[in-house]
Amino acid sequence: MIISANLQEAARSLLSAKQRTILALIGIVIGIGSVIAMVSVGRIVQDEALRQFKEMGTDILTIEKEFGAPPGAGPVKAQAPIKPADIAAIPDACPAIAMVAPSIRGSGEVSYGGKRLERVGTMGVTAGFLDINKLTMREGRFLSDLDAQSRYCVIGSQTAADLTKLGARPLLGTRIRVGDNLLTVIGVTNEVPAGGMRRFEPNEMLYVHITTGLRIFSNADLSTILARVGPGATNDLAREQLQSYFSSRLKGRQFRITSPEEIIAQMEKQMRMFTLLLGAIGSISLIVGGVGVMNVMLVSVTERRREIGIRRALGARRADIRGQFLIESLILSLVGGLFGIIVGVGASWLIAHFAKWQFSLSLGAILLGVGVSSAVGIFFGLYPARQASLLDPIVALKSD
Amino acid sequence: MLALREIRKTYRIGPTEVAVLKGVNLEVQQGELLSIMGPSGCGKSTLMNIIGLLDRPTSGSFQLDGAEISYDDDDKLSQIRNRRIGFVFQQYFLLSRLTALENVALPLVYRGAATHDCRERCLELLQRVGMADRAHHRPAELSGGQQQRVAIARALVGNPSLILADEPTGALDTRVGGEIMELFKTLNAEEGITVVIITHDPGLARQCKRVARMQDGVILP
Repeated sequence: MIISANLQEAARSLLSAKQRTILALIGIVIGIGSVIAMVSVGRIVQDEALRQFKEMGTDILTIEKEFGAPPGAGPVKAQAPIKPADIAAIPDACPAIAMVAPSIRGSGEVSYGGKRLERVGTMGVTAGFLDINKLTMREGRFLSDLDAQSRYCVIGSQTAADLTKLGARPLLGTRIRVGDNLLTVIGVTNEVPAGGMRRFEPNEMLYVHITTGLRIFSNADLSTILARVGPGATNDLAREQLQSYFSSRLKGRQFRITSPEEIIAQMEKQMRMFTLLLGAIGSISLIVGGVGVMNVMLVSVTERRREIGIRRALGARRADIRGQFLIESLILSLVGGLFGIIVGVGASWLIAHFAKWQFSLSLGAILLGVGVSSAVGIFFGLYPARQASLLDPIVALKSD
Repeated sequence: MLALREIRKTYRIGPTEVAVLKGVNLEVQQGELLSIMGPSGCGKSTLMNIIGLLDRPTSGSFQLDGAEISYDDDDKLSQIRNRRIGFVFQQYFLLSRLTALENVALPLVYRGAATHDCRERCLELLQRVGMADRAHHRPAELSGGQQQRVAIARALVGNPSLILADEPTGALDTRVGGEIMELFKTLNAEEGITVVIITHDPGLARQCKRVARMQDGVILP
């Protein structure tokens, strides 16, 4: 009974001071909204990365050159470059591996018609690269192993767009300068969503054949080899075979083999930290919003001293007064929280929409919003409510 | 029902102590209509606050219905105010956001009564003070006399044995004040409710069965 009367009272009192209530609400809405938006964007990014990663296949092992000396190997010796032939021989030497796609990172300035293409990265790849990375062609064709001696290149969709802007029409046949070499475009890959698991940005790439790459890029060395595990073989078996292959054929070189499971686990750990960080940033605005609620409640208590006195005279206990103001701040922050959830979910939807990520509504974020806003209401309402309940009835009645 | 013995109240203002009540002795029987009269500053409001359990004396003994009041338990004091005392103030002290009916219901709310039970009882009391047709008006829409009638209904709603009225006609003109006074007299005569009226107006005091004169912090014998 007291609770329902208090609820009614609280709503009425909040409505009677509209301007103040709205200002406090804005604070809470922004606070809860940013927490929800941050946390749910974090989740969306995480889901998206996992989704893209799984799309690429969980049967891909990543082999990377380990920098520095192996433990206990003494001074670092200059390591001999790996020959492409050693890599090409992997599927034959390791039955569990169905296919390999080595790649090198390129260097050198990329320009067209004398204008530099800032964003473009260069890579030397093999024919299997397209497939293993789940890329598809939009125009022309990809590099084949017959292009080993050629000066052909394939570009990503963003690179293509940049070139078009510079007036390259038609794209196929356009000649691009990389370092001191002129390369002819023979194909364009389709756009892929940003932020995937690939260690490069496919849309902003320029690919040449790995043999060409080794010749035209200065200091190029094999950096990453992607290996697809054949059907029926496990990742662990493939890893074992790769390790023994490397230790017998490529003595003195250290490689790190990473399986998708490891990457997923590592990624999830990173994403959790990322989400936590985002949530912490959002919490700062939430605290500011909470202080706003406290401020409004303190003003409300000061303004209603006489009312408190009257209620006390009519038999309200301290706890009744405390409850009344606590319910008021709780309503304030819950209503704020509700709008905050809408704003937060809306904001994360917009972000996901523009980044072309798959939007998902996370129930956890909504529960978090409701929980946090009621916690804010109680925490920041407790002090003003206590102040109100401790007022001496006489002093309260005499104030105006 | 009320027995005050040697009630003293001093306030400390800076280094000096100001004695407002200097040993008040007062007994009030069940069913009395008593006025406590005195010039302003004589301590009668302080006395009323002590009788109403809104304030505590510095020393002395206060018995209500034979039981000594203990000031240690604030909830208990609230409960006594709620169940046994009805207040009528000079400035009415109605809550401006509530309707007349809701104002009257307030003491019952703090008793934990159910809304629909209250409603009957509150309407009945508004009827009793002649305000039934204004039940859904807010205080701002009522005249001073009407507000005081609502306040009296509120004081009565909890069936108290004591009505404490502090200058109840102080803000009203003579005619309306007279009507309010008549209401108190009727309540006292018909329902046997003890009424204690604090006033500085000798005309009002004369209408009560008994007048206690106060001067300079004591009740004159």
